[in-house]
Amino acid sequence: MSSRRLIVVLSATIAAACGSAGPSEMFPAADLARMTWSDVTNRARGSTVRYAMWAGDEARNRFYQGPAADALRRDLEITLTIVPLADTSDLVSKLVAEKAAGLDRGSVDLVWINGANFRTAKQAGILWGPFVQALPNLQHFDPVAFRHDFGTSTDGLEAPYEQAQFVIAYDMARIATPPATFAELRSWIHDHPGRFTYPAIPDFTGSSFARHFLLHSGEAPPAAFAEHFDAALYARASRPVIQSLHAMKPYLWRKGETFPATLAELDRLFVNGEIDFSMNYSPTFASDKIARGEFPASVRTFVPDDGTISDYSFLAIPFNAPNPAGALAVINTFMSPSHAIMRAHAMGGLFPLRLEHLSETDRDAVDALPRGPATLPLATLATRRIQDAYAEYVDRFERDWRTEVLQR
Amino acid sequence: MPAIRAAAPRVLALVAVATCALIPVGTVLVGSVASRWYWPAVIPAEWTLRAWNYVVSGSGGIGGALLTSSGLALVVAALAVALAVPAARVLALHTFRGKRVVLFALLLPMLAPPLAAAMGLHAVFLKAGLADSFTGVVLVHLIPAVPYATLVLTGTFSGFDPDWEAQARTLGASPWSVWTRITLPAIAPGVALAGILAFVVSWSQYVLTLLVGGGRVLTLPLVLVAFQRGGDEAVAAALSIVFVAPVLLLFALTAPLFEDA
Repeated sequence: MSSRRLIVVLSATIAAACGSAGPSEMFPAADLARMTWSDVTNRARGSTVRYAMWAGDEARNRFYQGPAADALRRDLEITLTIVPLADTSDLVSKLVAEKAAGLDRGSVDLVWINGANFRTAKQAGILWGPFVQALPNLQHFDPVAFRHDFGTSTDGLEAPYEQAQFVIAYDMARIATPPATFAELRSWIHDHPGRFTYPAIPDFTGSSFARHFLLHSGEAPPAAFAEHFDAALYARASRPVIQSLHAMKPYLWRKGETFPATLAELDRLFVNGEIDFSMNYSPTFASDKIARGEFPASVRTFVPDDGTISDYSFLAIPFNAPNPAGALAVINTFMSPSHAIMRAHAMGGLFPLRLEHLSETDRDAVDALPRGPATLPLATLATRRIQDAYAEYVDRFERDWRTEVLQR
Repeated sequence: MPAIRAAAPRVLALVAVATCALIPVGTVLVGSVASRWYWPAVIPAEWTLRAWNYVVSGSGGIGGALLTSSGLALVVAALAVALAVPAARVLALHTFRGKRVVLFALLLPMLAPPLAAAMGLHAVFLKAGLADSFTGVVLVHLIPAVPYATLVLTGTFSGFDPDWEAQARTLGASPWSVWTRITLPAIAPGVALAGILAFVVSWSQYVLTLLVGGGRVLTLPLVLVAFQRGGDEAVAAALSIVFVAPVLLLFALTAPLFEDA
């Protein structure tokens, strides 16, 4: 084969591999103002939606490959394809590169996102929207709940989906009564050297753990940290908190000379009896782990009386999503009571929808949801719930923790 | 009995190597079926097939990932060897100006930090319209695979005497029969080893597949890493075994080729 013929054959193969895209279904978010919801679902019907999500959980993967996909196929003839991510930031970096390269037609329609990843995505302008107001099922969510995501204003670029709340796990076989407040927890740590630790910042859960001491510093009610950044308040509240976290260090596991890097490591220390507490953003995590044989059956969770951070995770659409109508239809379905009930059955978690808006049948279904042995009642969690701090508090606090607690 | 005394260190070394190789695999195997396994217990309190049920159930898309990974690695191995054979021959048997520069350029993909290289390559592939496709992933896997294959074959060719080919040609052999009867048999073990290395390089890529494949090309490492980071050790262990098994099988099948070499 001559080299010229080889080049022709090669480029034809490459073109064939790339050119199988099909007709364009893309439209700008501004068009939503002129569209009715049935226009959206008509466009979405029969399409394929590619959903990128963190896929490190067996129950979660089973749910989206199974019941969730089946319901979408049945109701909207939509085929849901999962794009598994080990870390959502992998997708964010990819979208940033695609934006820089001018790639207008991407490969992902929908992404499960929140927190720092959302902030990066919003700042980089890689999200399609605003679209949230167009969703009929938005009425099921408390408007306060989705205005901010970790202190970043959502601006209609992501729709609320799942709700999380920080909980602490302990083993009844080792601890009879867990500390009642964060202050009592601090005393407990000082009284039991080497029996406690938390994942090092920038781990998301470790950062939240440390931040609870800021929110409960007593300088201002936790809600005062939620809206905007007040430098004077931060300086006043953070200094003693950072000092006390530094003073806590010698009483931590391995004298605080090293911290676990991930939650998985923290859980391993906890089940192996090296430390007495673990922590997580999923209120059902301990029950799930008991069911999987990863935690002993005597593990329980608790939430200190002063309350723990609760926030939402969201669904967003990449700027170059090939099928935004399909993504919108899937998001709206995922926000429905029937999906939330199905999801709670399949993988636990909090029920994030407003109970007072539910039909009587749905309410009964929610009341009948099974609760794992280590999971707190919904009502207990609801009364001990605080909003997270505004993004800049989080950034400053993480920076101060690194320089004043970790490195000193 | 001097023979036995001489053999003893070899046996000892073999046992040591086998132990080092088998302990990690054995631990992973136990981890994939263990439940309620807490320190200081040496043996898990319960055994479960939960992780294996998940792996074979199809709800994690593991069968598809296994197929994609195998197909991808086979194509990459074939192309890498095809590219490496002529390159290695020239590098081993000829001297030319700029040979050191060529060698350095060849080693560069092995030296550069993978993530930095991957980000740059991703941008290039996006502009070329090769991102999110199987073809793109094959091409990007060739970048680390070809250097390994070429290095192995350069070693093979440096022990190869091209006079054998000349001799066959003077006896009237066609280029094709020179290749099939003289050259290929002489370099076969090197070709096999280069192919296996290229296969393993492609088989174990994570970052390059993720960026250039864009989640459209789903390979086993993408599924495996998600579970490792997610902290579900049993599923991660079961997937690890699915991940190493084909490579071990490949080595076992090709081992006879290396016995003479």
